[in-house]
Amino acid sequence: MLQFLLRRSIGAVVILILISAFTFFLFFSIPQDPALLACGKNCTPDAIKIIHQNLGLDKPVPVQYWNFMVGIFAGRDFAVGHCSAPCFGYSFANNQPVWNTIVDRFPTTLSLTVGGAFVFLLVGLGTGMLAAWKRGTAVDKTFSSVSLVLSSMQIYFLGPIVLGLLVYSTDILSSPKYVPFTENPGQWFVGLLIPWIVLSVIFTANYTRMSRSTMIEQLQEEHVRTAKAKGMSSRYVFFRYAWRGSLIPIVTIFGMDLGSLFGGAIITEQTFSLAGIGRLAVESVIKTDLPMIMGVMLFSAFMILLFNIIVDAAYAWIDPRVRLS
Amino acid sequence: MNRPNMRRTHAIVIAIAAGSLVLTACGGDSNGGSKEKTKSDKDAAQQQAQIPLGDQAASTGPAVEVPGATPGGRIRVYQRDNFDHLDPAQIYVSDEGLLATLYTRQLTTYKTDDKGRKTLVGDLATDSGTVSDGGKTWKFTLKDGIKFEDGKPITSADIRHSIERMYAKFITDGPTYVQQWLSGAGTEYRKALPDGPYKGKHLPKTVLDTPDAKTVVFHFTSPQPDAPFALAMAAYGVVEKAKDTKEKYDTKPVSTGPYRIASFKAGKSMTLEKNPGWDPKTDPFRHQYVDGFDITFNHQTSDSTKRLIADNGEAQTALSFTNAVDPLQTKDVLSNAAAKKRTVIGYQPYVWQMNFNMDRITDKRIRDAITYAIPDVQLVRLNGGSYGGEIAGGLLAPTVPGYEKGYDPYGKIKKPNGDLAKAKELLKAAGKENMKLVYGYANTEVGQKEAVVIADALKKAGFNVQKKEIDSATWYSQMGKVKNGLDIYRTGWGQDWPSASTVIPPSYDGTQIQDGASNYSHINDEHVNAEIKRIGRITDIKQATKQWSKLHHYIVEKVNPAAPLFFTKQFQIYGSKIGGAQYSDTINYIDPTRLFVKK
Repeated sequence: MLQFLLRRSIGAVVILILISAFTFFLFFSIPQDPALLACGKNCTPDAIKIIHQNLGLDKPVPVQYWNFMVGIFAGRDFAVGHCSAPCFGYSFANNQPVWNTIVDRFPTTLSLTVGGAFVFLLVGLGTGMLAAWKRGTAVDKTFSSVSLVLSSMQIYFLGPIVLGLLVYSTDILSSPKYVPFTENPGQWFVGLLIPWIVLSVIFTANYTRMSRSTMIEQLQEEHVRTAKAKGMSSRYVFFRYAWRGSLIPIVTIFGMDLGSLFGGAIITEQTFSLAGIGRLAVESVIKTDLPMIMGVMLFSAFMILLFNIIVDAAYAWIDPRVRLS
Repeated sequence: MNRPNMRRTHAIVIAIAAGSLVLTACGGDSNGGSKEKTKSDKDAAQQQAQIPLGDQAASTGPAVEVPGATPGGRIRVYQRDNFDHLDPAQIYVSDEGLLATLYTRQLTTYKTDDKGRKTLVGDLATDSGTVSDGGKTWKFTLKDGIKFEDGKPITSADIRHSIERMYAKFITDGPTYVQQWLSGAGTEYRKALPDGPYKGKHLPKTVLDTPDAKTVVFHFTSPQPDAPFALAMAAYGVVEKAKDTKEKYDTKPVSTGPYRIASFKAGKSMTLEKNPGWDPKTDPFRHQYVDGFDITFNHQTSDSTKRLIADNGEAQTALSFTNAVDPLQTKDVLSNAAAKKRTVIGYQPYVWQMNFNMDRITDKRIRDAITYAIPDVQLVRLNGGSYGGEIAGGLLAPTVPGYEKGYDPYGKIKKPNGDLAKAKELLKAAGKENMKLVYGYANTEVGQKEAVVIADALKKAGFNVQKKEIDSATWYSQMGKVKNGLDIYRTGWGQDWPSASTVIPPSYDGTQIQDGASNYSHINDEHVNAEIKRIGRITDIKQATKQWSKLHHYIVEKVNPAAPLFFTKQFQIYGSKIGGAQYSDTINYIDPTRLFVKK
């Protein structure tokens, strides 16, 4: 297991280096000069030269990339001061080290993801299993058709409707906002309730459908039939045999969903005016804030890779056959 | 300059990226009641009135109480964009200028009486300054009792430091008026003090003198009657010498105003709290009614408007400093009597124009043809209707002294859909039918919609229009290039203080054509250049206003470097428990210093 994890981690590091190099050269080779953005009204050629020096843009791109990579492990010095490791550069649009901004934004994304994932996993798996259990009945048909409708929904459509119904016209819930859990758990919960609900509605549908179909598939497997033939109770067979087997594709999808959500739920954050990693990504692209784009890209890629490794490890736990291979 | 903030367009890009439902902005245009119109005109009349210079009595604090104001409570603020700069010296855009009124004080400022009349008064200085030497020397004396947030008194050394640091390399965004008047035009002034005051060097006494701790004397190279107005800009806010952290000051400035920045998370949130170092007795204009402001960013105008119309919970004590009412929700506000009561509207200082690249379009008849062809009313509709703007007949905004209501040499107000027949006729006379016209527009949602309208009209007028989409984030830098490869492109301009001297010279002076300069049309007319020079020397402001107005006529009618499109208005809504909300013609938004929470 340890060797497996080690092998995957090394692979992940190689991928991250490739992504960083690709992103860096891609963005720094675009015709747009980032100095123009930092250059105000008095944007004369002299002023641009000064900004180039301030941003370190006067050096060749490979040198800039090398400095960037060294900075991640050893920290860097900028005109504005020292940026301690891990230094992912300094955003001249925000006047902040990139890493500090990511660390500041991540709790919002983390709260949004964990809460949303909790709801959609619980409800999605629950309804899916129930539909499989009651296959062919009214329960199954209701869950299946509702999930089909919900899976065709979009957050930017559903979000404003929920806000209109629960906040603007009735005042049942307060407008979504992020309050740190450590500061006030109650307000944290209330503030994120609507984003969780909306986020989970979209995702739940997929999990319902997925868990229903894999469950039905599993229930037809030979080992399940054997277990039933042995006279085990159908509840025991359902959970001990079929459920465990059905988890593999769900874990795969869950890992990927979680990874990308941790990398920023752009549309959800936008719809509910939350300042998480997703918003940060959009803002930095619009401002052509290259250091921030690099930082967010690497962070998101890291999250996706991390959850891929976790998923692989989870396979091994769920299905011993994977461990052997 | 005071360029309209292009970040306004960014939000639209964000909306597209996120796939949200921000679509057309055509609502509300037909709902401008005559009552609002009259009020707006009255406001404009006040805005364009010549602002008198106040004496010591007018400059003495405390400010006149806002009727019904009570202390206490906190105000929630929904903002769309982050404040990119907090260092006063880097501030040029209007939203940062508004915030600065809460935490920064300058030598001078504007105060408004209960009838809306404005006076330029001393802020840190005892009055609006004493002029001598034919307008070249301006002397300011500091008030007693003015302090930084740490309790240290503000001295003339701090004022000198604040001016001198604007010569340093890291200051790239703020205005340069005072520096240029002291030490040379263009970027020449930087040579006078290349490292700012940080390496022990200072401007000579013959340029900037501080004979004692209370006195500051500016020796300009030429007469500058507008000096007290320039010094009222947020950028000339005072910076404490001992607490100057250079580049880092941009995220953590030391306060001199009624509030100080308690926390700031760029792009996310900001908290303001009372500044104990501020003494109301020294301040003729600001108040300190509320305990603080809780600002969060990322609120699109659609979001802030919905929250404020609904007026539930925290939204009752909330507003947005700068978000206007979402054009799509203008009707919702106007049809809701309770919500409509909670609004303000006023002219902003911007005039939008379609610039002609005069290096490429040399025949005035062609420029006139384009001017006649553009359907201004459709552009106003796309930009929020009558609550977002108004058709422009000339190139001076209603907020500039010298603006003439009804001035309309190209019949833009009379024929708001354009005059295609006239355009065709002119094009034919010029012998340029089917002429190729490269039209640059910003890649924003509104920009793209405008492009369709404008290209369509120009095609009908007989032009062969080649549309070219350009990145909105660097729009002004690209338009500012002398060889931009375009024939026509839209830009906006607003005054820095109420005087045409901050509009005509930066936009139409032919001696200033270079990359990065704001003469976007590259107009280089000998008469205009000579007049700019001549009027710039007139020290009597009233006389100068008359002359600027005359020159404005000449530019529009005889040269026509840019087709006037529209003036912008600001329509804002606030929560039901917010008191003291009033549109400020010098801040261009609701004045934040007057606000209180109703009990």
